[in-house]
Amino acid sequence: MSFRLRPGKRGLELRLHELEAATMEVVWSRRWAAFTVGDVLAVLERQRDIAYTTVMTTLGRLFEKGLLERRREGRRYLYSPKLTREQFLEGTAREVLEGAVGGSQAMALLAEKVSLASAGELDDLEALIHRRREELEGG
Amino acid sequence: MAEAIFPVLGTIFVLAVVLPVSALLTKGALLALERSPWNSPLHGLEGRYLLLTGSSALPLAWFLSAGVHQTETGSSLSCLLDHHTAALCFEPAFFTATLVLALFSVGARVLRRHRGAPSSRSASARALALRLEALIARTPALGPLRGRTVVTELGGHALGTQGLLVRRVAVGVHFAATLSDELLASALAHELEHVRAFDPLRYVALELALALNPLGHRLLGRHAAAWRGAREAHCDREAVLHGAAPLALASALLRAARPGPSEAVALGAADASLLRLRVGLLLAFAEHRPTRCCRRGRSGLQLAVAVLALTLISPHQTGTAALDLLHVGAERALSYLWS
Repeated sequence: MSFRLRPGKRGLELRLHELEAATMEVVWSRRWAAFTVGDVLAVLERQRDIAYTTVMTTLGRLFEKGLLERRREGRRYLYSPKLTREQFLEGTAREVLEGAVGGSQAMALLAEKVSLASAGELDDLEALIHRRREELEGG
Repeated sequence: MAEAIFPVLGTIFVLAVVLPVSALLTKGALLALERSPWNSPLHGLEGRYLLLTGSSALPLAWFLSAGVHQTETGSSLSCLLDHHTAALCFEPAFFTATLVLALFSVGARVLRRHRGAPSSRSASARALALRLEALIARTPALGPLRGRTVVTELGGHALGTQGLLVRRVAVGVHFAATLSDELLASALAHELEHVRAFDPLRYVALELALALNPLGHRLLGRHAAAWRGAREAHCDREAVLHGAAPLALASALLRAARPGPSEAVALGAADASLLRLRVGLLLAFAEHRPTRCCRRGRSGLQLAVAVLALTLISPHQTGTAALDLLHVGAERALSYLWS
């Protein structure tokens, strides 16, 4: 799941690249209060081929973007999330809503229909909800 | 000819000058609001709604009211009741009638587009009605929806609130068949917030305001769309606050967003972005229960009605100087062009 809601749009301070989004997804879904590069690597390397240095660079970028804070502990950094997922999404909401297409229906509909081309995206979102449900029920 | 010049020029002036200027000022105010550092797009919804609808509604209400009050005898009532003075009332009455005609022609078009989904009485519709009744009965939070649901077999209809004053939630038979009771209850909780807040009426008023203003859609359309998107996200949050399961609501949202095979839909990808935002927020609500930061977001309509009433009364209390000026200006323009 990527939280790049408006990829390529300027002015979005909290814009995330795919790997940054995947990293934040790991942090938020596991509700980590503090973690190291190794913790993130252990989860991500189950999903993809990824090097320790790549995760380290990604966490550094997320720290610079203000999504993570860190403190030195011995020879390594201990990271913690600075924003909850909700706070991050609210911060991103302005860009999304400014780009919203105005529906002409006066009825308050549960959801506007989206283009047929985004069926794959709807599948991805459903899969994400399913995973989250399993995580919450399991944890 | 001379008697008709003010009503005609006055109406053109109101529609072609006053309303566009008002839309421009409103856009400025909305941009300032959006750029203020403490602004959050999901907050301040009532204020933004008032600005968007008020940009057309308030100038029109004032000029309509002023037209009624501006009679040469100084009394609109004598205009209506006294046949001797009725002749003196021609110009303001004609002006008001022209404006009302313009309002009705646009309003009728908008309202025609928003007829609710028709209810069905087939066997599957009756079965769904019974299911809804049972679901509402065993979910206390949905109690206010008792007797407020209709079942429809209109192609592609998922779930929506309709009716301007008597609000009802129209549930599509085919859509409901794809949902478990948990998903359906969560979706109904979202609609309950629309019902409570008279949202169909708000949406129609907003659309009327934009349609009546020649520059309404061009200048304010983007802001209105953003308001609607934020309003939907707000209703998701309210549903969760009233006990709806966030993940179930997110799933229902996705089911409702899937186009049916018979539908030709072609909305932009930005709507998918909005959907992702709402699903993302609901995922977040599954981890941390949302909090209600400020007001409940239902006071806007009452406030709008109060401001509108004050505007309608104001020409009677404070005079009709602006309309007088318009009247004199139109007559001078005529004499200048005629001489």
